[in-house]
Amino acid sequence: MTQDAIRAEEVRKVYRPRSGPPVEALLGVSLRVGAGERVALLGRNGAGKTTFLRIASTLLTATSGRVEVFGLDAIATPERVRPLIAVVPQEGKPFFHLSPREQVYSYLRARGLDARTAKARTEESLALMGLEEVANRLSITLSGGQRQRTMVATVIATEAPVLFLDEPTIGMDPFARRSVWESLRALTRKGSTILLTTHYLDEAEALSDRLYIIEQGRVLVEGTSAEIKNRVGGSVRVTVTNGPTASPTFASFGTLVPDGERLHIITTPERLNEILQLALQRHLPATVGPVTLEEAFLSEVGRSIDAEN
Amino acid sequence: MLRTEHAPVRAPWVPSFRGLGAFFLCEFRVQFHEKISIVTSTIVQVVVLVFVGLLAPGLFGVALVGAIIFSFFTLGGRVQNEAAYVRVDHRLNQLYLASPLTAESYFFGMALGVLVAYLPPIVILFVLAEGLLLMSAATAAVLLGVSLVVWLFAISVGYVVSTLFKTMRAIWPWQSLIYTLFGVLPPVFYPLAYFPAALRWLALIIPPSAAAALVQGSLGDSTLSTGDVTLAAGSLVFEALVLFAFALYWARRTVMET
Repeated sequence: MTQDAIRAEEVRKVYRPRSGPPVEALLGVSLRVGAGERVALLGRNGAGKTTFLRIASTLLTATSGRVEVFGLDAIATPERVRPLIAVVPQEGKPFFHLSPREQVYSYLRARGLDARTAKARTEESLALMGLEEVANRLSITLSGGQRQRTMVATVIATEAPVLFLDEPTIGMDPFARRSVWESLRALTRKGSTILLTTHYLDEAEALSDRLYIIEQGRVLVEGTSAEIKNRVGGSVRVTVTNGPTASPTFASFGTLVPDGERLHIITTPERLNEILQLALQRHLPATVGPVTLEEAFLSEVGRSIDAEN
Repeated sequence: MLRTEHAPVRAPWVPSFRGLGAFFLCEFRVQFHEKISIVTSTIVQVVVLVFVGLLAPGLFGVALVGAIIFSFFTLGGRVQNEAAYVRVDHRLNQLYLASPLTAESYFFGMALGVLVAYLPPIVILFVLAEGLLLMSAATAAVLLGVSLVVWLFAISVGYVVSTLFKTMRAIWPWQSLIYTLFGVLPPVFYPLAYFPAALRWLALIIPPSAAAALVQGSLGDSTLSTGDVTLAAGSLVFEALVLFAFALYWARRTVMET
């Protein structure tokens, strides 16, 4: 049986602001992340992803519930957990008056690594993130994406047993994002465990072994990307532009997922011809493709919102 | 080693300074890049000295001693702003505090980094004082000692205040309020004898003016009674140690937000 790197049981968090009513951010989140797994938390803004990540990474108290990291209580004994973890905070920025090389190296030294190991890991991490050319420039002169890469390089270099990454690739170009993905895959091959949040569903799909969709402080769905996509009710997606007005027309063909001016119809390959002919008759531009995690996410969260209303 | 369940859990009152040296060097590098800020850090003190030199040359020595003590005192404000900036603007406190680096090392390493980076202009003031006032070794030791105790007090206040607010705009006014009010208004730049006699006790329990009074006494510029010396020295050391101990506790207490 795989050891749990992270185990959360019924974690609740209620923020009590100085003014205004209490805010229930988490309403009993339970999840498990096995050692060596890469797991993504997905959800809308304010769903509770960051709150959970901050509790699990010993930076925020929970109102109730329990979080363990390798069996150690992250809430009651955070000082035992901290040597095992490293965190990329949401919207974190490196010290502007340090270069990426100084930032990574000094962080590793502050974590207690010896100078030789810290130096070697720094160079390796900067190379993985493609930061060699700017490694000696002060971070204040770097672009937003380069600064974010510095943050990720800093944490990757720790090779900590558990990494928490809150939107790690925000602001990065597609090449840089893929470098991060590859580095994270390499880390899990070495035995690290990764829990991340992201709004990029392609990233979640490409990177994660399993996903949790969190909505309004609760776990809505859990599973692999394939399992979550299968829940939508088909393997093919037909996207019709100017579709929402034509929703009733397509209602009988499968699951409808409104997406702004577009309507996604999740269906089976057998019904594809009928749908396309109908779209043609109504002069509605249509495209066909496989169901993506994005449609599954919109469908699951949309269903939840409908149920709430 | 992956598991740490056998690591002892420290009692809340036992500090640990794991990672202090490395974080001090990191913070020193960060601060040292701010050369203009370092150079201008004693500008207020120099302006006061110019005024005193022109208007009351006889008080220049007292003002010079006050400038040194004030310089150490205002380093608390720099720690306050740095800690707040790193937390609010960069969120780097999360990176460092969710790691083996202890919260005590984070706070004190930051304060030491600020101190060492901002020392050069203070050293110039110190050399000037030594040259102009012909201080004895004992007086120089008193000046250095009380300055460091004032620094300990100031960084403790600065760090604690930095944790109380969520935006930089909310934090800025406190720097002026704390460090200007308590560093300029009491007899730091001027003799204790000029302070209202009825409030003399107050001057002797406010750390910067207590420190200044002790140095003035050592220089022979003030007639301090034994009781005054005891009150000034006792309250200075007591307040600094209590505040420092509280700041260490508070640093640990506030790693986990509520």
